[in-house]
Amino acid sequence: MEDWYRWVREAGWWVRRCCCGEEEDDDEEEEGRREEEEEEEEVKMEELSLRKSRSSTSLPPAELDPDRSGSPPSGFQPHWFHTLQARRFKVQRGRSNSDPLGGKSCQDQFTWKPGLEFGAAHSYVSLEKLGEGAYASVYKGVSRINGQLVALKEIRMKTEEGVPFTAIREASLLKGLKHANIVVLHDIIHTRESLTLVFEYVQTDLAQYLSQHPGGLHSHNVRLFMFQLLRALCFIHSRRILHRDLKPHNLLISYLGELKMADFGLARSKSVPCQTFSSDVVTLWYRPPDVLLGSTDYSTALDIWGAGCIFVEMLQGFPAFPGMKDEFEQLQKIWTVLGVPSEDIWPGVSQLPNYQPDRFLFSEPKSLRNVWKRLNQLPYKTEDLVQRMLKVLPMVRISAQDSLQHPYFSTLPPPIMHLRDTVSIFKVPGVQLETEVRDVFNSGRKIKPSLLLSAKFW
Amino acid sequence: MEGPSSRLPPSLLPASRDWMVGRRDSGGDAESDRDIKTHFRVCRFIMETGVKLGMRSVPVATACVLYHRFWERASVHAYEPYLVAMSCVYLAGKVEEQHTRTRDILNVSHRYFNSGSAPLECDKEFWDLRDSVVQCELLILRQLNFQVSFEHPHKYLLHYLLSVKSLVNRHAWSRTPIAETSWALLRDCYHGAMCIRHIPQHIAIATLHLALNSYGVELPVGEKEWWQVLCVDVTKAHIDAVVSDLLQLYDMEAKCV
Repeated sequence: MEDWYRWVREAGWWVRRCCCGEEEDDDEEEEGRREEEEEEEEVKMEELSLRKSRSSTSLPPAELDPDRSGSPPSGFQPHWFHTLQARRFKVQRGRSNSDPLGGKSCQDQFTWKPGLEFGAAHSYVSLEKLGEGAYASVYKGVSRINGQLVALKEIRMKTEEGVPFTAIREASLLKGLKHANIVVLHDIIHTRESLTLVFEYVQTDLAQYLSQHPGGLHSHNVRLFMFQLLRALCFIHSRRILHRDLKPHNLLISYLGELKMADFGLARSKSVPCQTFSSDVVTLWYRPPDVLLGSTDYSTALDIWGAGCIFVEMLQGFPAFPGMKDEFEQLQKIWTVLGVPSEDIWPGVSQLPNYQPDRFLFSEPKSLRNVWKRLNQLPYKTEDLVQRMLKVLPMVRISAQDSLQHPYFSTLPPPIMHLRDTVSIFKVPGVQLETEVRDVFNSGRKIKPSLLLSAKFW
Repeated sequence: MEGPSSRLPPSLLPASRDWMVGRRDSGGDAESDRDIKTHFRVCRFIMETGVKLGMRSVPVATACVLYHRFWERASVHAYEPYLVAMSCVYLAGKVEEQHTRTRDILNVSHRYFNSGSAPLECDKEFWDLRDSVVQCELLILRQLNFQVSFEHPHKYLLHYLLSVKSLVNRHAWSRTPIAETSWALLRDCYHGAMCIRHIPQHIAIATLHLALNSYGVELPVGEKEWWQVLCVDVTKAHIDAVVSDLLQLYDMEAKCV
């Protein structure tokens, strides 16, 4: 008994020393850091090779060039101004992001520092807060190692709970996923009281992009975004991973128009298809009817439904099924468009926990072009793809792989179909974002600064 | 324990690889044998704790894999194996979405070592123990480089069992506990590092093979052996290697218990 206490205590002490060696006290700091460096060597090597392979594909040239990122800009600009510029990327094309701190005083701080290590907190400077999540705060930051902009996702650690499971899941899954349309996890920093995931910095997200360009996006851009989204889904599904939380907020958009899937906190490796997953996963608006009905044996079709909803939202400019209250209201929104399913078309539907026909208002399936007017103005193949993605019955919903072959994408240049996983579609000649018709930042309307500060845009 | 090398797993210190060399040398045999026995006992502890906490097979398997992967990179002298085991159980719960509370793990472990005693008091001692488990979780994550999602043989075994069942005479199948035996053999694989040395499909095939052989259940012979049909890349040598590792573990059990 006594012995047991002693060994656990002792072991705990060793663990603390090893995890947080560099923080113990001043005269130990040097030693601690050396140890940390040793321990991070593996991470570092991996990250270095990652950077090498990545650098030519997805970085804007301005961010790659050490001279530019190291040199001070012509005039001093306050921090918040960059926030504005990053959002006004139609004017600035995000270029201003390459000199994030402005002022001359920062010059020596941002020169290339080969001595700095990956995995160490002092290798990154946090610049401004971008947003606050359920278990983390996201900061825009800059790497002191190479001057690259990064997004620092600082995860709060509760002493009694340890590392949040969402963070563990996100880190372990993202480490294995290298794809042009999935956000890059550069580095992981752990200190005694926090864990920070270092991601590549991406200027905005689809939710912001949609609010910046209200009334629906340019149909060409919708096609490019959808192609990239489905490409990412195809990639993770082939690795038996479900995202489970697709929504415009989690799709980052770079100034070039590159779409990057982020927020893998709820993603999981998909194992035996009959396994029961915890059923509380997708934000209600993007949740498929089978999951809303209480089914727990969902699979890849779950993400396809979410992608279908986002497809409609990009075309229309407003969410496809914006339920306000609970699962039943959400289901009713879906039934209004697609009709209430019966045992005939969906065998077994009446066995699902939330299937209560007396609570559903009867409605017939409608033609999608009558519900979402934008589909009327576009060729039939657009409606056809939406229809295949928004099937009530999960088994007949199109797969990510098949959807990439759909005629809807046939107008894209053919080489786009044969890219390596890590190559952005914007490397294909002729692929570029069109100017959106409506842009709230360019219409002369003024935006309250308070609105900007609260917004999340990485 | 005072030297700097004991504060970090030696495998990460380039200067001190002697413990690795020691294991390969004949002189290290006694020590490595002792380590294997230690790990065997600790894995038994993980499984018992897992069962008492109501964890499913796969989370328990994940806990064991975390445990073995951790010692792949660390010397058994640097950290306390039972503490690592407790944190592995905790971490496995998070990875596999079957969450357990540190408090429950501590109480179950306490009972494991002091059967019949009262639950722990919620005093400073208890909070310190809990902190240790949480801190050690972070250490494991760092050691494994956050790579904590694993594929297990369980789903393959289930699939193979269903296929083999349809090939075997119905009466022979109902007379013999093939499914139960192969499942038990699979669970036992996790007592040793063999569970991370072989690929999941091979382990599944080998446990099923051993179960069929032990009960003398014959499968119809065709052009190919049944395992070649189920898993393309498996060879008799693979199966033999898994079975021999597994039998060594049963030897070990006799010595440990």
